[in-house]
Amino acid sequence: MIDRYPPPAPVRRRFRDLRDRLFTLLVGACGIGVILAVLAIGVFLFVEVVPLFGGDTPASETQATTEIDFESLWLPQQYPDYETPRYRWQANVLSEDDTPMFSLTPLAWGTLKAAAYALLFAIPLALGAAIHSACFMSRRLRHRLKPALELMEALPGVVIGFVAGLVLAPYVERHLVGALALVLILPLGLLVAGVVHSCLPATLARALSLSRAGLWLIPWLALLVALAMVMSPYLEVVWFGGDMRAWLEQQLGLDYAMRNAMIVGLAMGFAIIPTIYALAEEALSGVPDSLSEGAQALGASRWQTLWNVILPAASPGIFSAVMIGAGRAVGETMIVLMATGNTALMTLSPLDGMRSMAANIAIELPEAAAGGTHYRVLLLCAFLLFVFTFCVNTLAEIVRGRLSHRYRRLGGLA
Amino acid sequence: MLMADASPTPATLHEIVRDIPSTDRCFEIEDLTIAYGDKTALSGLSLHVPRHRVTAFIGPSGCGKSTLLRAFNRLHDLNEDVARQGRIVLEGQEIHAPEVDVADLRRRVGMVFQTPNPFPMSIYENVAFGLRLQAALPKRRRDEVIEWALESAALWDEVKHRLHESALLLSGGQQQRLVIARTLAVQPEVVLLDEPASALDPISTLKIEELIRNLKSHLTLVLVTHNMQQAARVSDYTAFLEEGELIEYGATDTVFTNPRLARTENYITGRTD
Amino acid sequence: MRRSTSRRPWLAEGPWAWLAAGGVALSLLMVIALLVLLAGRGLAHFWPQDIEAVTLEDGAQFAGQVVREQGLPGEVDGRERLYRTGNRDLQGAQWRWVDVADIDTRATPEDLVIVERRRWGPFIGRVVALEGPETRWTVEDGDTLWQQLDERLNRVSQLRSERDVVRTQYLEPLAERLANGEKVADDEDELQALKARIVNLQEAMQRDRVVLESLEGQQLTLTLDALIDVTRPNAMSLPAKLSSWGHNVWRFLSEGPRDANTAGGIWPAIFGTIMMVLLMSVLVMPFGVLAAIYLNEIAPQGRLTRLVRIGVRNLAGVPSIVYGVFGLGVFVYGIGGTLDSLFFADELPSPTFGTGGLLWASLTLALLTLPVVIVATEEGLARIPDAQREGALALGATRSEALRRVVLPMAVPAMLTGLILAVARAAGEVAPLMLVGVTKLASQVPVDGTFPFIHLERKFMHLGYHIFDAGFHGGDVESAMPLVYATALLLVLVILVLNLTAIFLRHTIRTRHRVRTH
Ligand SMILES: Nc1ncnc2c1ncn2[C@@H]1O[C@H](COP(=O)(O)OP(=O)(O)O)[C@@H](O)[C@H]1O
Ligand SMILES: [Mg+2]
Repeated sequence: MIDRYPPPAPVRRRFRDLRDRLFTLLVGACGIGVILAVLAIGVFLFVEVVPLFGGDTPASETQATTEIDFESLWLPQQYPDYETPRYRWQANVLSEDDTPMFSLTPLAWGTLKAAAYALLFAIPLALGAAIHSACFMSRRLRHRLKPALELMEALPGVVIGFVAGLVLAPYVERHLVGALALVLILPLGLLVAGVVHSCLPATLARALSLSRAGLWLIPWLALLVALAMVMSPYLEVVWFGGDMRAWLEQQLGLDYAMRNAMIVGLAMGFAIIPTIYALAEEALSGVPDSLSEGAQALGASRWQTLWNVILPAASPGIFSAVMIGAGRAVGETMIVLMATGNTALMTLSPLDGMRSMAANIAIELPEAAAGGTHYRVLLLCAFLLFVFTFCVNTLAEIVRGRLSHRYRRLGGLA
Repeated sequence: MLMADASPTPATLHEIVRDIPSTDRCFEIEDLTIAYGDKTALSGLSLHVPRHRVTAFIGPSGCGKSTLLRAFNRLHDLNEDVARQGRIVLEGQEIHAPEVDVADLRRRVGMVFQTPNPFPMSIYENVAFGLRLQAALPKRRRDEVIEWALESAALWDEVKHRLHESALLLSGGQQQRLVIARTLAVQPEVVLLDEPASALDPISTLKIEELIRNLKSHLTLVLVTHNMQQAARVSDYTAFLEEGELIEYGATDTVFTNPRLARTENYITGRTD
Repeated sequence: MRRSTSRRPWLAEGPWAWLAAGGVALSLLMVIALLVLLAGRGLAHFWPQDIEAVTLEDGAQFAGQVVREQGLPGEVDGRERLYRTGNRDLQGAQWRWVDVADIDTRATPEDLVIVERRRWGPFIGRVVALEGPETRWTVEDGDTLWQQLDERLNRVSQLRSERDVVRTQYLEPLAERLANGEKVADDEDELQALKARIVNLQEAMQRDRVVLESLEGQQLTLTLDALIDVTRPNAMSLPAKLSSWGHNVWRFLSEGPRDANTAGGIWPAIFGTIMMVLLMSVLVMPFGVLAAIYLNEIAPQGRLTRLVRIGVRNLAGVPSIVYGVFGLGVFVYGIGGTLDSLFFADELPSPTFGTGGLLWASLTLALLTLPVVIVATEEGLARIPDAQREGALALGATRSEALRRVVLPMAVPAMLTGLILAVARAAGEVAPLMLVGVTKLASQVPVDGTFPFIHLERKFMHLGYHIFDAGFHGGDVESAMPLVYATALLLVLVILVLNLTAIFLRHTIRTRHRVRTH
């Protein structure tokens, strides 16, 4: 058949070689350019911040220049109106002879406090969810759950912040006792569910199996929450004489701000749960089956296997998941902006508000005169945020890289 | 039957090489060394590939057969880790010479891989792919060439009514013949086949083997295979490689019935020592 | 490990297993609660809600719509109810908290109306009469009154659109020509004629009047052009309510905001968001894809490339506000300032490009989403087997030909996924926009009929920022809330749809390749 007739050899198109080189060159140049532009962010911030610390701060006409150095930014300062040295952030001066106060400590404090409360709320939930879906859920259910939590991650911060600041905060203020009681009620309710489950007849227990508990517990938890809210005024009367806020103030000396760290923790925790969940779940389900099967063959229960074998193996991955969650919490702007009062306080109390660096930039930078001290201090905040998140993420990435290397080795041994 | 193992001397190798008259040599390889990073895959290999014949490379896994094959059309250029020394001459022209156009070299030296790799396009587009890279042909001419290529690959009758269906819907054997057709369509002088039938069922394997035998009247074919019967059935010359070195090379009949070295015989008969 | 009921120990898997399961359940519960809250409140806002006529224990009367009810602070069973009573001009406030215990009777008489007005928010009460130039209809006329009112309101809206056409299409262009000194003989006369015509139209709009009375007994006479809509929710049947609901939704999506963003629609914000996202996509796609191609196909795969790859990935985790700061410093003050001093020097000191605007916002978000696109595209490219590339090369293709004809077409779904994720991220991002160009109320949308049609330097409205601004900066948060809910619902819906598309696309690429037919 090949003998029928051989067609003539094809004629070469011209300039193919040149075209190839041109294309490669173009893509290369563009690619490098884009990557440099993206990486330029850090460089830009650095360059803009440097003049702050150079001896000759450029004087701006609109603002009294303030001496800025490490000490004035981070250590307590003696201000005219106060007896003892303090940390104060007050960038906008009201009258001519006031000097603006640039102490970054309260802002850093606020940032870290918000992130800490968010993590406090998010870590148990996200890790619990990750453990449950990696070790107890059926594969099919897990594949359904993933997109649901991915959607959760996509919810914009401004919406979460709005709900937290305008809906949740006033509601919690009115149902404070119930809301605080939830911290106890929910875990207890879960244990009760477990006990009840073990008493159920076998057929029902199989229908409501632990592997599907993530779903059938939802109405139960909803019921508990509703109950707590209904009970809230009664509890308040019984325990706190009808007004918990007054009780807090008298007994503990705590002020209650409507938009407080608790609300921020809840809202921002909500926002970072999916991030932590996704990465932790990946780490947990990436643990080679050979490991857990080995332990289960030795008679360990699923939970013992998890605790003694899987968690230690996946711990670097979980660590990096938490790191990345923390990075997100530190930089989140809208939620903190909307769910706190944005007052630069330095307390640990969950009932006080705070002002974070990111929210501070969003509030003040549009008004700051370009090139002025205030502007540069705000850019310094941005630079710190950049460096912090970049380092945290890089660390997490490195740890994760190590981890997948380790899994490959373990998998290879099996 | 165990023979005393005399290590091959350069003299014996050259003897084989001299069997092929210099006018009939398609590829001449001299002292070729290829290393991946610091791992040497081929060391100082010399051999000549005769024109319009089927040459088979056999040898244990990892001995460097694919590495050698990919050197013939400079596919190693893509991998920065690969270091090469030595000469490869195609029809009197050193293929690494600066004036050689790699793209055109690869058109002249086609390659078929172990797993069929049709593009995710229609059958027609797969065969037309190579043609479209060259100067534009009138559509009628192109259709003729495509029909010829598919016929030559013994696929035309099976696909002539579904030319515009996706190539991914074909069976594995059909896909591999499509890849051969695609290669033939650009009029190569040499076709390299790297274990072309190892992923296929016996019937498809037989079809491919018949194809190879038919093609050799027009083309030079180089075949890597793990299947001794296949090498014996289709090839005219056989080279046995081990650990990156050429152990034995000669007419297939000789290598299979009367190997010079015990190592070759052990490999062919499946003995391990 | 199935065991019989009797031998199953309590908490068979241990208490921690149940707490862990609670993590999933609680997370899902929160997502569901959030979505239900947004959907419920956002959609309920458009429902024509019944108006209650409330008589208090002390005999006082008022009319209003129930907003919500809650426990009295510090009491166990006391409850209070919030009514929206409207009539801000008459009562001074349009919200009223009432102790439930003080309420004597509640009724929903059919003649109660809620009147949307151009000023002062809604009026809630009764229509006493409709006064035309010659005739006067009162409540005794029954349906005729309502028919006449409808007809006359339609007439007013026709006159209004006619006036707007005259103004924007004839008067304004002419005035502009005159201002530029291009005078033609009878232009002045024409200008006067047009002005007179507008005055006439406006007078015609004010021809009819309606007399309203609140339940407290205050009367109010308004010309019809001060009204937007008159509805009698208590008299509506279910289908009528449904159609009214649909109409309200449509108005919300298609109209501009009124009353300091506490009423009206959000069309400019939708438009601004879409424009910005489109512009961003146009900017981010080519650059993101080029960078990904470079990283995956062209750059030598050494240590440096690996480092750069990690760097780019990590930039996705840098806070968005930092990108906003970069945009402000580099685009707005740096490039924008330079552009201004070069090309718009006569406008200075009022900045043209040297202030936040559509272009800078889009650029900033493009930078923000660049890592998303790069990572998604790179993943797509890496998933294409080398066999495909080698197959093309073995047929005599150059590297660029193999890339263009085989590799890139196969990576298209991955690029699309990247684009969709980028768009979803950009649509929800607000913080950087606050620095580079979003505004609470844009007098002009960035696209119009005057050259160059797309005004990249203009500020624009944005759905996300609208939520922030209306909810936190408005004076009357209570009346802004329903709109904020609706806006938030819209934003979330848009983002969910985009994400679902991305998830679906990613799923399909994993399962099948693109098939191109001849
Ligand atoms: N891309 C590569 N990078 C590093 N080493 C390789 C690569 N490809 C092949 N090798 C090594 O080179 C040797 C020869 O490989 P190959 O030519 O594929 O063997 P064969 O095809 O005969 O089985 C093997 O030891 C293999 O491990
Ligand atoms: Mg091989």
